[in-house]
Amino acid sequence: MTATETRPSRPARGVNLKVLGPILALVVLVIVGAALNGNFLSAANITNVLSRSAFIGIIAVGMTFVITGGGLDLSVGSMAAFIAGLMILVMNAMLPVMGPGWPLVFVGMLTAMVAGTLAGFVNGFLITTMRIEAFIVTLGTMGIYRSLVTWLADGGTLSLDFGMRSVIRPIYFDGILGISWPIIVFALVAISGELVMRRAAFGRHAAAVGSNDQVARYSSVNVNRVRMLTYVFLGILVGVATIMYVPRLGSASPSTGVLWELEAIAAVIIGGTMLKGGFGRVWGTVIGVLILSLIDNILNLTDGVSPYLNGAIQGVIIILAVILQRDKKAES
Amino acid sequence: MKFTTITAAALAATLALPALAQDTKVIGVSIPAATHGWAGGMNFHAQQAVNRLEEVYPQLDFVLATASDPAKQVNDIEDMLATRNISALVVLPFESEPLTSPVKAVADSGAWVTVVDRGLAIPGIEDLYVAGDNPGFGKVSGEYMASAMPDGGDIVVFRGIPTTIDNERVEGFQSAIEGSGINILAMEHGNWNRDDSFTVMQDFLSKYDKIDAVWASDDDMAIGVLAAIEQSGRDDIKFVLGGAGMKEMVAKVRDGDPMIPADVTYPPSMIATAIEMTAVGMTSTAPVSGTFTIGSVLITQENAADFYYEDSPF
Amino acid sequence: MSETRALTLADVCRSFGPVQVLHDISLTLRPGEVHALIGENGAGKSTAMKIMSGYLEPTKGQVKLDDAPVRFASSQEAEAQGVVLIHQEFNLADQLSVEQNIFLGHEKRRGLFLDKAWMQAETRRLLARLNCKVSPDARVRDISNADKQMVEIAKALSRRAQVLIMDEPTAVLTEREAEVLFEQVERLKAEGVAILFTSHKLDEVKRISDRITVLRDGHVVAQGMTAEFNEDQMAQAMVGRDVSSLYPVRSVGVGDDAALEVRGLNVPGYAHDISFTLRRGEILGISGLIGSGRTEAMEGLTGLRAAQGDVRINGRPVSLRSPQQAQAAGLCYLTEDRKGRGLLLQKGMRENLTLQALPEFTNWLIDHKAEDAALTRAIADFDIRAPTREVLVGNLSGGNQQKLLIAKIMLTDPDIVIIDEPTRGIDIGTKQQIYEFIHALSAAGKSIIVVSSEMQEVIGLADRVLVMRLGTIAGEVSGDDMTEDKIVRLAMGLGATRQEAI
Repeated sequence: MTATETRPSRPARGVNLKVLGPILALVVLVIVGAALNGNFLSAANITNVLSRSAFIGIIAVGMTFVITGGGLDLSVGSMAAFIAGLMILVMNAMLPVMGPGWPLVFVGMLTAMVAGTLAGFVNGFLITTMRIEAFIVTLGTMGIYRSLVTWLADGGTLSLDFGMRSVIRPIYFDGILGISWPIIVFALVAISGELVMRRAAFGRHAAAVGSNDQVARYSSVNVNRVRMLTYVFLGILVGVATIMYVPRLGSASPSTGVLWELEAIAAVIIGGTMLKGGFGRVWGTVIGVLILSLIDNILNLTDGVSPYLNGAIQGVIIILAVILQRDKKAES
Repeated sequence: MKFTTITAAALAATLALPALAQDTKVIGVSIPAATHGWAGGMNFHAQQAVNRLEEVYPQLDFVLATASDPAKQVNDIEDMLATRNISALVVLPFESEPLTSPVKAVADSGAWVTVVDRGLAIPGIEDLYVAGDNPGFGKVSGEYMASAMPDGGDIVVFRGIPTTIDNERVEGFQSAIEGSGINILAMEHGNWNRDDSFTVMQDFLSKYDKIDAVWASDDDMAIGVLAAIEQSGRDDIKFVLGGAGMKEMVAKVRDGDPMIPADVTYPPSMIATAIEMTAVGMTSTAPVSGTFTIGSVLITQENAADFYYEDSPF
Repeated sequence: MSETRALTLADVCRSFGPVQVLHDISLTLRPGEVHALIGENGAGKSTAMKIMSGYLEPTKGQVKLDDAPVRFASSQEAEAQGVVLIHQEFNLADQLSVEQNIFLGHEKRRGLFLDKAWMQAETRRLLARLNCKVSPDARVRDISNADKQMVEIAKALSRRAQVLIMDEPTAVLTEREAEVLFEQVERLKAEGVAILFTSHKLDEVKRISDRITVLRDGHVVAQGMTAEFNEDQMAQAMVGRDVSSLYPVRSVGVGDDAALEVRGLNVPGYAHDISFTLRRGEILGISGLIGSGRTEAMEGLTGLRAAQGDVRINGRPVSLRSPQQAQAAGLCYLTEDRKGRGLLLQKGMRENLTLQALPEFTNWLIDHKAEDAALTRAIADFDIRAPTREVLVGNLSGGNQQKLLIAKIMLTDPDIVIIDEPTRGIDIGTKQQIYEFIHALSAAGKSIIVVSSEMQEVIGLADRVLVMRLGTIAGEVSGDDMTEDKIVRLAMGLGATRQEAI
């Protein structure tokens, strides 16, 4: 037996920081932001922050599954840049044939989704079937996609044909009932992600695989399939994020998506998902993404902090958010 | 055996033919990788210059290396010196400090050194310095802002990646607008990046109810700024001034876009100038050493056509 | 060893929050004496051992060394005083060598560098003293459990242990390996080391201990010289009721038709040419030494390892290349390694229970109500005792984990169940319950294979026993032939003139 067995279960009294930690951090940030600048809570600013969170957010939802399943994907930022470049090239190439219009936009979307699926599949295949460390595989593909987009862009910037830009622009800037599309898509992705994580067999299996893949295997879970699917889903979501990204500026360059992978991973961890796998929560990831975006936003809206220190403040808040939710009972 | 001898001889003849008179000289070119628009243009011009000069001067051989960070650039230069036996080095240093001693080692080996754009930490190492004029870039930009806003006004300023170049430009700009009545509301780093400057401009628009003009200081950043302004639907911003001479921006100036009335050059083609001058120095006795400053020029609708390069990616 | 020490617990109490798990425990470990601490899972043995060795402090009462009260602030402090605990789950770094493990944290230095030569020599000396033939350079992951146990003891000796506390040292050892361990225990005892060990194997306790303390629910219920007890008395003291009839009486007959037919099963590297037939409702025992390929053969059969061979279920040929296929064919394997392969220790009982049968609970989304109902049923059917329904499975006792594991497998409603080591590390009361479950399953028409190192267990449970040796089936015993002697002779190789290396 172990001594812990006879212990009573977690006492109901007191606050459960493990759950509340990220929410508290978010609330504190909102209060600080509102106090520092009157426009912080304006509809325009809230829309801005939420829509710009959408790219990283959509990717981070996928990343939550990969990390919960005991994996890691460093390639998503480069992958997004590459898919954006590809999407622009395809649309530019098809423009003379199809003319500017929604059919061409759908071709672009299809390109992004197919490319994302394939990219996720490649990562998953190398990690599961070829049994190479996820860190190494995705470090490799990260460099490959970054180089490919630089090569496609000839070192410069890939720009969507000007005629097409006004057609595709609404995907980022318009919406329904005053809510912009990126926010709507992000919300849909987050809600379905949360549902899958909590209530679908796939979410349960991913957590089981990340927790102990031997147990999962002995419990008739197809471990490779589950792992593979986490990477494929992430690839698809990178495609979705790219579909939101391209309409914003209509361009892709070697600097597109730089460090997105780390922001996505940071958001996942701030949200309470365990980096070593086995436990994940999508709603936490959403909060993590919002925390990261808000820090930037607040620093831009206030004077008095040297912009050189933005990174330091982000770092401190990330570490604090994780300390807040650490299990106090953790024994040495 | 016989066959190989003949082949080898034939090969040697073919290869050596243009260089019979003198030995082939190797010129190393080390530049930062194309991580943003301007660097992309610079890479393009470097490649173009190398291709062209290799045809013009058969006795010259070029080694082009692009580095994504200063450490890799140091390695590149050390490799060139050790394995390619370069007679001359054209270098656009990623950063001044870390590149100074490896470049000095090249100079000490007796090779010719051309430094482009960013100076080294110790002056006098290089034989030729082809410099962009960063304080001048800021000054031209500031003077234009002052003349375009005779009654003064409130502006926001976008800075690049925190470097000496960025500091020099901003200082030049600030001294040029002194006393003009122009008030800088805020400065923030957009990192010469469209996405970052888009986000920062969105936040500036939330923060300030009235902005008269924007010094984006770079054409990539100007694109992000324009997108944010367009999204907000605000009409208080009268114009945005970028910089560097990106062809899309030059086209806008040429076509009379009211938001982009002007641009300031910081031509990425300076690398081509540097490579060409080095090649001349290697192949003739013409004096090419010294400092060669490429000034920043104001592009307006009148002269825009002269600065539009159709083929350049930038 | 010149110095000797005695360790005493005097009226020790220990509580975790409001729950008191030890009540006025007093016992003394004397130099040159082997003391057995026995009791059911949850009786407080681990807590008592942790207090002796500085991992926990008593809430009340004292720990004394040679009659002087001491307070160990940590296990390191206890080790410095010569009191060492060897954990049941080995506390060894798998990737390091034997020598590196023995000196981990106590490396001998010469100047800035490690004195490798001295440590090598010392390791050789320690291992030689324990009659252990493993190389100091072998990586711990590559050596057998018995050798790991010896390395643990060598590590304790290198720390100059005068009081050696061993938590179930024989749980993962075969009988022969245990034999080697006991020889070393005798030797250490002769050198004046005070030894305490726990075990669920009462015959061992009877054989090697000099003195016994029996714990039940945190109280000392019996204490005295081992000679004063027989095994039944020990068991009765532990459980508090009569457990002399450990194995239930077989009440149903075995069917005639074959549920599972295996012909020429090969598991490369582990087992070859395994052929047997399991009849409906039968309990078939598989015995053999550890390393004889029992577990690997069963894993090969159920698609967990690469294997070839003809398998028929209910007369129909099946191809079982993955555990999913085996499960679909109604065949389930219950692993011997419940912590490493059976259960997710960081998850609750609900997630663990339904993991293998999750499709049954899923209709687009997982039906939490149905899961809860299943857990309620499993807790009742298998008498799982947990402090709360939300407890992490890692915090359950071994017996309750095993019950949960059986409940989990049964949720998939298999026709054929292979149970590997059904009662490893489990107390006698729970063992009895598990045997009853197995019989009940058989009575319900399930066909069962029981793999076990405990010969008494297979004999008591099974209708028929296959004995494996060196990757093949060495023979079969049934009826009156099912005796320990016959099984051992088959397992060791009948008529062998020398002992097989294991």
